[in-house]
Amino acid sequence: MNKDTAYWITLAHDLPGRSFLNKHGWTNEDKYDLIKAFYFDNKISISDFFELSEKEWQETYKLNSQQTNDLLQAKSKIPNNAFEAEQLQNNGIEIIERNSPEYPQYLKNNLRKSAPVILYVKGNKNILKERSIAIVGSRDASEIALKFTDNIAKLASNNFRVVVSGFAKGIDKQALDSAISYTCRSIIVLPQGISTFESGFRTYYRQIIDGDVLVLSTFRPKAGWSKEFAMARNPIIYGLAEEIYVAESKFSKNRQGVETKGGTWAGVIDGLKKGRKIFVRQSSPDENNVNNILIEKGAVAVDINGEIISLPPKHSSGLFD
Amino acid sequence: MNREKAELLLQKTFGLTAFFDEQWQTIEKILDGERVLLIEKTGFGKSLCFQFPATIFEGTTIVFSPLIALMRDQVKKLNSLSISAQCINSEQTAEENSQIIKDAKEGKIKILYIAPERQENGEWIEATRKMNLSMIVVDEAHCISVWGHDFRPAFKRIINLVKLLPKGLPVLATTATATKRVERDIVTQIGDGITIVRGNLMRDNFKLFAIRVNSEDEKMIWLGKNVEKLSGSGVIYTGTRVDTEIYSNWFNYLKISSIAYNAGLDTASRIAIENGLMNNQWKCIISTNALGMGIDKPDIRFIVHTQIPQSPIHYYQEIGRAGRDGKDSCIILFYNPNKDRTLPEVFIEVSKPLIEKYERVTNVIKSGLFTERELIKKTNLKQTQIKIIKADLIEQGIVREVIYNRTKKYEFISGSQPLSTKFFKDLRNAKLQDLDKMVGYVTTTGSRMKFLCNYLGDNLNRDFNNCDNTGLEKIKVLVNDVWSARLQNFRESYFPELIVESRKSNIVNGIAASHYGVSNVGQAIHRSKYEDGGDFPDFLLKLALKAFCKKFGNEYFDLILHVPPTKSGDLVKNFAEKLSQVLKIPISHGLQKIRQTREQKIFKSRYLKRDNVSNAFSYTNSSEIVGKKIILFDDICDSCATIKEIGKLLTDLGAVKIAPLVIAKTIGGGLV
Repeated sequence: MNKDTAYWITLAHDLPGRSFLNKHGWTNEDKYDLIKAFYFDNKISISDFFELSEKEWQETYKLNSQQTNDLLQAKSKIPNNAFEAEQLQNNGIEIIERNSPEYPQYLKNNLRKSAPVILYVKGNKNILKERSIAIVGSRDASEIALKFTDNIAKLASNNFRVVVSGFAKGIDKQALDSAISYTCRSIIVLPQGISTFESGFRTYYRQIIDGDVLVLSTFRPKAGWSKEFAMARNPIIYGLAEEIYVAESKFSKNRQGVETKGGTWAGVIDGLKKGRKIFVRQSSPDENNVNNILIEKGAVAVDINGEIISLPPKHSSGLFD
Repeated sequence: MNREKAELLLQKTFGLTAFFDEQWQTIEKILDGERVLLIEKTGFGKSLCFQFPATIFEGTTIVFSPLIALMRDQVKKLNSLSISAQCINSEQTAEENSQIIKDAKEGKIKILYIAPERQENGEWIEATRKMNLSMIVVDEAHCISVWGHDFRPAFKRIINLVKLLPKGLPVLATTATATKRVERDIVTQIGDGITIVRGNLMRDNFKLFAIRVNSEDEKMIWLGKNVEKLSGSGVIYTGTRVDTEIYSNWFNYLKISSIAYNAGLDTASRIAIENGLMNNQWKCIISTNALGMGIDKPDIRFIVHTQIPQSPIHYYQEIGRAGRDGKDSCIILFYNPNKDRTLPEVFIEVSKPLIEKYERVTNVIKSGLFTERELIKKTNLKQTQIKIIKADLIEQGIVREVIYNRTKKYEFISGSQPLSTKFFKDLRNAKLQDLDKMVGYVTTTGSRMKFLCNYLGDNLNRDFNNCDNTGLEKIKVLVNDVWSARLQNFRESYFPELIVESRKSNIVNGIAASHYGVSNVGQAIHRSKYEDGGDFPDFLLKLALKAFCKKFGNEYFDLILHVPPTKSGDLVKNFAEKLSQVLKIPISHGLQKIRQTREQKIFKSRYLKRDNVSNAFSYTNSSEIVGKKIILFDDICDSCATIKEIGKLLTDLGAVKIAPLVIAKTIGGGLV
């Protein structure tokens, strides 16, 4: 672990976030601009940046008084974050900073400035450098969708691709289990802080020490699961993969009985907007899902074995080329 | 803040008028947010170098200290000065510790003392996120170095923490015992522009003597004759736990007030003895080096070593506890050139287990996540060895200790380098050289104080006259017949106790006729058991009867039982029959083995010894046990697991008292 890790944790989590109530809060884009300014433009480390005076923050980095104040507040948290960083280090959890050569290229390319400031990982980091696919879909998955997931995992294994999945019930879990059964390498993207994944670290101990599984999270290490995190994690799954396979997208009702489109739908639509390669399993008319609507919206239709059925004009190539 | 202003504050807060120069040099840097390694002798006032700045800083200062007694003491002193200080340690209840953590989060504590092991505790780490931290102190910083005399793996995490702390947060590392090599190691580990402030480590008030003897008898006789003549109270350090017992029984026999102290005692007994020491309850405490650095008694007037320690730094550390008040203190070291190198050599040799054992542990860890106890069982290694192996594997980045569900487990680090054995060889060589130096301290004809100071890296250019080579009269041991006879009588009337009592069993603490290996008893047993030497000889029967009479002479017993053997045929049965005849107590052969057990000595840990004999016995006619008082006889007792197991069985069958009697108690297991 780098001696500046506590500073990076501070930059990632201790600045107020932008929200409906705080229009002046920080987005990942704002943080990336700052990293670019100190690291790439002024060629100083994050610790040197934090040691600068408020005047220098304002003059050299053009930060306003609100931002300066936010940084000062955050700075007071660095010693506290050092304690947390030490505990992570002791538990074998590493931190990959936004400017590190280990930061996955796919994530940078796909999410650009909005890529997270740091990634918490445990396991074989080299997996992040390999070609990868994501398999996504509903928590409440049908048999046929699970079979499709298994087929794609097998295909990934034959083609030496890493499988990225989200550790939820249904498709995510199937993707991981199948990948492990075909000794295919996997990235588990958590909807929670990495330190709360103890049971998973126990379950996947052998796969982790054999270098077949990497666990990744972008949230505060001790934060528990939340719906917001589950939603916020989806772009990371999509971002880490070269290609995306959708087993099943379903609309569902929330606790208030209102129909929602679900995370898979939102992720695919967002991906299509960004011009990502997304393969959706074409569903038969008796299935209760919205896969075919996603295909109408521009996703590539594939059959249960992942073979391309029809190719929309803008896509030029097939699977795992 | 300048010195003048600081000293005004010092007067107001601590009631002291001025800083020593080296104190102010340290404090000035700390106030500037720098990192300092402070090496000063015991009693110099190192604590003030963090306590004073801590009172000026806004937030909380965290002091990592391995010494609970010292923490308690300092907290008491600070509170008496109206400075809010607390300590978190394993001797307080979880509720007390939680309350202190809560107060710290609320900013109510200026100085918080904590054991390095606490860094493993999730509640503590969670709390550190909410505290306003102003400074980190690493007390006894030599514990971070494997080249030091007291390396503690928990300090590794503290070093990792310090490396992650931001610039500008002051860090103070302190120690009273660091050679140049340890100093360099600390600097390399903490790194990043640390300043070293080093004072001289010389202690003028010590009167140093080294006494060469030719036997253990000479040591015991000299001490028997002279310990009462030494002024005040003091500590006698022995090399092993057994020796603490033997010496304290010897003194007891001579009616010299003393008590034995070693790591085998429970916490409550240890605290009681530490408190007794503070109140001069005994002339001396006889202890292994387990009597810790944490004893902050100003007036320990003498320290005697009956055995040379492993190195001059161990020695300096141990004698450093004497004369903290600056008054004269007598420091005596015995050395028997025929024998005394053996023990520290054994310690050095066994300090690293065989490489094959490291591989065994690594392979088990690779196969799954296990706790320490599971590792002990799966590898059949002793707990002490597992601890060393684990620490080394962690140190070399092969294994890490993780906490899942509040339980420590060991995880293999994927892609790690294989075990480096070169480091072990280097360390062993360094330790053997240190042992040579320790012997050199005895044989030197020059100043002993200067010898120690040079070893520690203090190159003092001055003369000393505080040892038996520089003006003080040499001590000679004179043995006469009266004292030899006294010692012989003592030896024939001293019997080690078997500590086996537990809440759920009617077994009482028993007695052994001797320690195995410290007299001719061991040889005699060995001949009978393993060399076809026939029944145990009669002198053992006499000794066993004497031991029995001493411990249980006035008590009534209904029955003698003997432990059924694993290998050695009827030796135990025949001996028990003789006991029965002499004591006129009926014997029964009703104890049976209901399943095959293996010889206990095969098993290296108490867990496996216990498992080996668990539910292995039954009694043929259990009605003859009900309401009975029973003598339970065996030849040798090591962990006493068999005796305890049978004690439980007999209790369940209705026996009201079970009194164990054995010929010899082994001295394996924990030596210190």
